[in-house]
Amino acid sequence: MLAVTFIEDVLRGVLQGLPPGAVYGLIAIGFVLAYKTSGVFNLAFGAQAYISAGLYFQARNEWGWSNLAAFVLAVVIVAPAIGLILERLIFRHLPPGSALAKLVIAIGLSVALPNLFELVVGFEPVAGRTPEGLLNGGATVFYDPTGLYAFSRDELTALTIAIVSGLALAALFRFTPIGLQMRAVVESPRMTELNGIRADRVSAFSWALSSAFAGLAGVLIAPRFNTLAAPDFFNLVVVAVAAAAIGKLVSIPRAVAGGLGLGVLIALIDTFLPRLSEAQEWIEPIQDNVTPAVPFIVLFALVTLWPALRRSQEQSDPLAGVDPPPPVPAASVRTPFLTILTAVFGVCFFLVVGVVVVTRADVSWLFLITQAVIMSTIYLSVTVLTGFAGQISLCQGAFAAIGGFTVFQLADRFGASVLVAAVVGGVIAATVSALLALPLVRLGRVWVAIATLAFAAFFDAVVVKLPFVGGGGTSLLQGTRVPRPVLGPLDFANDRLFLGLAIVVFLACAYTVTAIRSGTVGRTLAALRGSEVASESIGISPTRARVTAFAVSGFLAGLGGAMLSIQQENVNYASNFAPFAALFWLVLIVSLGARTVEGAAYSGASFSLMDPLIFKGALLGWILRSEERIPGIFPISPKWRFVLFGLTTITFAKHPEGLVEDGKRKAHARVERWRARVRERRQDAEVTA
Amino acid sequence: MTAVLDTRGVTKTFAGVQALSDVSLLVEPGERVGLIGPNGAGKTTFFNCVLGVLRAERGQVLLDGEDVSALPVHERARRGIGRTFQRIELFGESTVRDHLLIAERVRRGDGRLWRDLLGRGRPSADEVAACDRVLEQLGLAELAEEPIEHLSLGQGRLVEVGRALMTRPRLLLLDEPSSGLDRRETADLAATLRAVQQAQGFAILLVEHDVELVANFTSRSYVLDFGTLIAEGPTDEVLASSLVREAYLGPGGGPG
Amino acid sequence: MTPVLELRDVSAGYGPFRALFGVTLQVGDGEAVALLGANGAGKTTVARVASGLVAPEDGTVHVGGEDLTGAAPYRFARAGVAHATEGRSVFSSLTVEENLRLSFRRALGSARVDEALGQAFDAFASLDRRRHQPAGTLSGGEQRMLSLARVLVESPPLLIADELSLGLAPIIVDEIYAQLARLHSEGTSLLIVEQHVSHALGLCDRVVMLEHGAVAWEGAPEQAGERVAERIFEHGGDG
Repeated sequence: MLAVTFIEDVLRGVLQGLPPGAVYGLIAIGFVLAYKTSGVFNLAFGAQAYISAGLYFQARNEWGWSNLAAFVLAVVIVAPAIGLILERLIFRHLPPGSALAKLVIAIGLSVALPNLFELVVGFEPVAGRTPEGLLNGGATVFYDPTGLYAFSRDELTALTIAIVSGLALAALFRFTPIGLQMRAVVESPRMTELNGIRADRVSAFSWALSSAFAGLAGVLIAPRFNTLAAPDFFNLVVVAVAAAAIGKLVSIPRAVAGGLGLGVLIALIDTFLPRLSEAQEWIEPIQDNVTPAVPFIVLFALVTLWPALRRSQEQSDPLAGVDPPPPVPAASVRTPFLTILTAVFGVCFFLVVGVVVVTRADVSWLFLITQAVIMSTIYLSVTVLTGFAGQISLCQGAFAAIGGFTVFQLADRFGASVLVAAVVGGVIAATVSALLALPLVRLGRVWVAIATLAFAAFFDAVVVKLPFVGGGGTSLLQGTRVPRPVLGPLDFANDRLFLGLAIVVFLACAYTVTAIRSGTVGRTLAALRGSEVASESIGISPTRARVTAFAVSGFLAGLGGAMLSIQQENVNYASNFAPFAALFWLVLIVSLGARTVEGAAYSGASFSLMDPLIFKGALLGWILRSEERIPGIFPISPKWRFVLFGLTTITFAKHPEGLVEDGKRKAHARVERWRARVRERRQDAEVTA
Repeated sequence: MTAVLDTRGVTKTFAGVQALSDVSLLVEPGERVGLIGPNGAGKTTFFNCVLGVLRAERGQVLLDGEDVSALPVHERARRGIGRTFQRIELFGESTVRDHLLIAERVRRGDGRLWRDLLGRGRPSADEVAACDRVLEQLGLAELAEEPIEHLSLGQGRLVEVGRALMTRPRLLLLDEPSSGLDRRETADLAATLRAVQQAQGFAILLVEHDVELVANFTSRSYVLDFGTLIAEGPTDEVLASSLVREAYLGPGGGPG
Repeated sequence: MTPVLELRDVSAGYGPFRALFGVTLQVGDGEAVALLGANGAGKTTVARVASGLVAPEDGTVHVGGEDLTGAAPYRFARAGVAHATEGRSVFSSLTVEENLRLSFRRALGSARVDEALGQAFDAFASLDRRRHQPAGTLSGGEQRMLSLARVLVESPPLLIADELSLGLAPIIVDEIYAQLARLHSEGTSLLIVEQHVSHALGLCDRVVMLEHGAVAWEGAPEQAGERVAERIFEHGGDG
């Protein structure tokens, strides 16, 4: 009898897991298609799915279109069109072999596209505004063919569509000429061209197709969410990457199977974990959070432990040798001129900030400027990891959150000194970061990014919810409160004093970071960034240098995160540190300058001040000396900065050192040319004289 | 006298195909040895096995009599193997001297972590002097401050040699140094290499497709074909042997 | 008469690497030219420039009189250049039949695909037995046969054959050269890149020798045998 119930439970779990698994599979299909044909690790699929879901909702509920018309618009027309545009305008022009640049651009698009969509269509994520499924009554009509589990009409639709389109795609690949051409392009675009076939057209087609799958998955999954919002869709794509990874990122059938498998695994754990926790008390608090984390654990494990997965990328194109080595970035050695220029810029910047603080700063400006300084401190952690070590980490938000939560916990439970707790937070973050780095040091850069993304998603889903980290249930009611420190006579509850403290911390960190760059570790990291094989050939061990970089970066992020929490007197995890929020950090700093301290400072300033100062028109108001004269187009929506910086990442392929540094070099070159011309003219004059 | 490099029965298989079978060769201290063979003979694979980029399935690699078969690349480098690359591998965004400085610092060994992290930023006077001596020998002294991107391919190869020399290698592996260079540049490179090698006395193993360079530069040679050593001996004799000609030219290819 | 292929003063390379320094080369209509030289001399790069895989940095490439300098490889293919590349030159994940289908459909139109498949399998019985097998599971010799089968049916104006004999048993090399001879007799011009000279010399009308990315010697095959060995091995001074 017991055995029968057990088997029934297992079957029920399987049935329950299939519909969401099917949707994961659908996104995974699109992901694998794009990855195979263009080598792009397209994290922006989440954004593309979100756009289709949002558009479908908008057309149906706001514009009153029929289901079918809305579906055609969102999935059949717009989704492939976005894919085509991205391929045509961006990805086609990237040199083969620039996998990291493609990934960074995809991250930029993940940030830019949802905001661009919301601006263009006038869509706002509001709770409860999720579309119904494709068929009417999707959530209310149930079918129970087996007597074990009742599928909703939505679930059944999703499952059917996933299976049918999976089969259709398989048939397309096997039996049609375009399918044959796509398979050929996957193996070797150049050899396909030698057969007289335009590989770029085939590749554009597969982008359109894969994007249509992203859109389809978006529309199908949307009814499962309470609110239609971009971050959920980003998380969804991480799940899909896990599914695709099960298929080694190249096999479409196995990606579908991977998606279904993940769905079923999650459902089974959901079924059985509560029973286990009756016997094992320790499971109870995390019981609800284990299942969402399963895909991330799977992904992290696959990336770090399965070498075959990482090799699948170099899937042998016999003509790969035709490609020239990736171009050397335009940047070269920093001349003294550049250093002086940087110093001048820096002094001017801080003078302006100082003047503003003294003259204009009311409480809200003071708050924003302090935030800018603290964010700059956090961004220094990216400078070390991305700028010096050349690694893209997508879990800096988690490290910063560790700092914030440490202060909260130590102050809340033990009444510890807040400043000491901030440093402890940095140390804990450094330790976690170093441990995380150990399995990652030998991986390629794209894999490091994916593994850190999996870690960030895991942290978000599980760790934050542990009582000894995020405070558990009580913090839901009271928030994660953090007091301001008091140091002797200095009470940092005073905002001006606290700004002073933030500046001191930032300067100390900035000094440390510059010292690291010129130190042995910094030089070693620069060598490793330049050429790993050559570095090893002179005896450099990649492990030591990289783990150190991760640890330093973790410390800076943790310290900065602690400072931010102290400033806001609350950790505010979701708005400050959640993975999707932290994506924008990377986008900002990569756009502006990941190699330098000033890049971090500009990024911090842009993060906090761009919106109030420029978009809300305050700066213009000061210049015009009257708020009434600010033109009508202000305030501009703050979403534009996401669009702006998100799209700026496209320059990463050419200028990995960032816009500021690139601008300075160009200015320098112009000055040099001008000086040369002046000299020439003088010589000419002498000759004629 | 112990050989600098002593490989014993190195065997490597890729997907069922034997890329190297039972390759055993010796390089004595201070010797210049060539390793030649037609396309696809396994020269690069052998190189990678010696360096530790690839692990051989069977066989040992002995360096000064010490078995280094299980060591990673950087440990072998620290024990005295220097190398250059067929496709040059330079560090980018740094000067010529920086390339040598980092190698010199690595040779001096890791310090305490916090010192490596924060202190020891600027190169010390004797570090710079050590680099400049090598730059002088290679005729690169004038280019010391030059950004690496401004160099020609030939100069880039010399920087690679310089970087390798900073580790004070007992054995220098040269991987197709003439590729991408024209005839005159190749001759210049060979002359410089020979001068430096004679001054410092390290051994050289040269993998090269340019038979002329091998003939002029090495005293002894090994010939690989289909992953097997088919000939060894004084370079002149090796090049004259009909077996070698056949490997290069196909059956009946060589006259006589 | 316009040559099938003409490279004029071509310099080319890979990023900072220069592999060719001003190569001028013609393949006349119906001519078979052997391109010889030590490895690293630039032979493969010449082949790649001639099929559009590598764009020249300098100089021009004409196919059948049409200027295709800097054009994408598919335009070379449509102008009649078939390139059997060095090493693996078939799609290993596609079956034997799919490999052929892919090319035939483009070159001959979908109506004639089945007929062409028949021809190809008639000519190469060993491929027929493996028509539904992924090409990656074929032996090296069979893979070369597969790329030749495609060319044989389409009979393009020019075939570039890069190191077809590399790593193959002598008996298979003989068979490959027999097929090449058949192609040649049917009017296809050949550009044969070889390191093993003996076979190539038997087939070709003219020999071009490359050294350090430049043409070092050009002449009749009768004199070439001596010259080749001389240039590769008897390097006295500056050769």
